[in-house]
Formats: sequence, C-alpha cells, structure tokens
Amino acid sequence: MQEYILLMVGAALVNNVILARFLGLCSFMGVTTRVDTAIGMGASTTFVITVSAVINWAVEVYLLHPFGLGYLRTVAFILVIAAAVQFTELSVRKLSPPLFKLLGIYLPLITTNCAVLGVVLLLVEGHMSLINSTLFAFASSLGYSLVMVLFAGLRERLALAEVPRLFAGPPIGFITASLLALAFMGFSGMSTN
Amino acid sequence: MRAAVPPLAEDSLRATVEGVARVVATEGDVAWLEPEQTTSCGGCAAAGACGAKGIGTIASRLAARRFSLPNDDGLEVGERVVVGIDEQSLVRGSLTAYAIPLLTMLGAGIVADQMVGDDGAVLVAAIAGLAVGLLVARFVAARLLARGDLAPRFLRRAGVGESCHSE
Repeated sequence: MQEYILLMVGAALVNNVILARFLGLCSFMGVTTRVDTAIGMGASTTFVITVSAVINWAVEVYLLHPFGLGYLRTVAFILVIAAAVQFTELSVRKLSPPLFKLLGIYLPLITTNCAVLGVVLLLVEGHMSLINSTLFAFASSLGYSLVMVLFAGLRERLALAEVPRLFAGPPIGFITASLLALAFMGFSGMSTN
Repeated sequence: MRAAVPPLAEDSLRATVEGVARVVATEGDVAWLEPEQTTSCGGCAAAGACGAKGIGTIASRLAARRFSLPNDDGLEVGERVVVGIDEQSLVRGSLTAYAIPLLTMLGAGIVADQMVGDDGAVLVAAIAGLAVGLLVARFVAARLLARGDLAPRFLRRAGVGESCHSE
C-alpha cells in the first residue's frame, strides 16, 4: 500500500501534469476563469485519463508490443482517447440525462487536451504494471484537477483586485501561474529516490 | 502598491452558477430552452482555429442538452434568459458521474491485484468495477434528480449583450 501512496503523491504533486510537465496548458488558461467550470473540467478529465490509461495499457501490452506496431502508438492512443470520450459521453447521457445536461459541456474539449495523450505516453515509458499505470494516471489527473481549481480560485480573486492596467487579464494570469509553478517546485524536495 | 481584495462573503461560497439559454419552444406552461454557452471555455479570439468550438455547436449536441422550465413568466420563443443552478449541484453532479465509477474501478483493480496479482485479472476486475460504478452512479443521480438538485431554475431575462462571461 505504501508503494501505491508514494506513486500517487509523486504523480500528483512532484511531477504535476501542468506545472512540472507543462501539459494541458490550453485548458489551464482557458477554463479557469471560474471555479465551477474548473471543477467540471477537472472531474471529467480525471475520468477520461484514467479510463484511457486502462484501455491504452491493454492496447500496448496485448496488441502494439507483441506485433511490433510501436510506430502506430500515437495514432492508436489518439483513437482510444477519442473513443473513451465518446464512451463517457454516451454512458453519462444514457445513465442520467440531467447529469449530461449539467456536465456534457466539458467533454468535447477533453478530446483535444494534450494532457490525456501525454499521460498515457508517459505510462508506456514507465513500463508499469496495470494497477500501477492506472493509479499513476488517476493521481496525475487528480494533480491536474487540483491545479485547475487552485488557479481558478486565484483568478476569481484577481478579478476583484486592483491590477495595474498593463497587467490586467492574461498577463497577471501568467504571472500567477509562474508563482504557482514555483510553489509546486517545493514538492520536488519530497522526491528522495 | 497593495491591491485591495474584498473578503469573500459566506454566501458567495454557495453561489449560483449562471448560464444564458434561449427559448426554443413553448408547450402550455412549459418552456424548452437550449444553452447558449456551447463550449466549456466559452469561446475566445482563437475560436476560428479551435476544434472544441465546432464540436460543441453542432445541432445534435445542443438538442441533447435541451431542458425545460415551468413557464410562469410568459417566456416566448427566441427570448434569451439567464438560468442558474446551485454551485454545489455541479460538484455533486461531477462526483456522482465520475468519482463513483472511478473509485469502484480502482477499488476492484487493487483488490484483484492484491488477491491474484495477474494483470489480466486486474483488467477484468477494473472493467467490472467500472460497470458496477456506472450503475451505482445511475441510482445516485436518480436520487439527486428526485430531490431537484440537478434542475436549473429561471433567474431573469438576459439583457442586451449579456453572455455567460459578462460580469
């Protein structure tokens, strides 16, 4: 169990998808104007990344690697991610139409989120077992959601602050993001091995 | 220079999430609406080159997100209105739709890993856990719906130029 916890802390905080690996920056800047949209986007992305990681692990281990089709990896993974988004959309729509009306807005944007592809490609490099891959993907996406919500909260506060005219809007957003990244660098001190 | 940041009011933590919708039909005392906000980012200057914009605006997606409201205020077809839901509903909805299936999937996978230790068994257990989680999510969502937690409510008629992101 300790192995699982260390793996998850490392993936979520030390090697944060957004602030350490610089993936998913489009949604990081685009969907963080309000906390509620950041929560919706974070939750749906967490689901898609984790489900995609499980399916892509199976595709890699049972299909691409045995048949020497490694050169098709990126294309195959993109297809799986698109299918996973469709699966998520269909299942939410069928299981609960009201929930789909509430949350369906976030799903199309996930297909074009490079964090999803980035995480599953990192898993291939890691040569991990299925359960470790799944937990790594889950923790990475939790780290993504955490940063999205933190940043959205900061931007909501900044909207009320008196910011110098030249820094208002995206510039102060980028400065805030850099300070957040510096703060997260502190977690690298937790990495002992 | 120190920026003056007003303290957050207690009730702002339980704010209403607002969105703009357009009335597309009326049937007796019920109005049918379609949301105007078609992507989670609300569009931007790069909308012409952004894939998310096109995906979110196709007719089938808008129709799938159509919802009804009691038409107590005499809404007419074509009117733009501001609707809202409790911010907590979004969090509850997200947890119900995504957290429950994920946790059952991870839980089943971890149990299979500890008991069997074979990746094939973990894969089967994870998929089974996901299926069970989706069924549980359906049950919980039905309870939320019965309590009215997921239903949007009419707030006001939208002003000229008012959009999802106008303050």
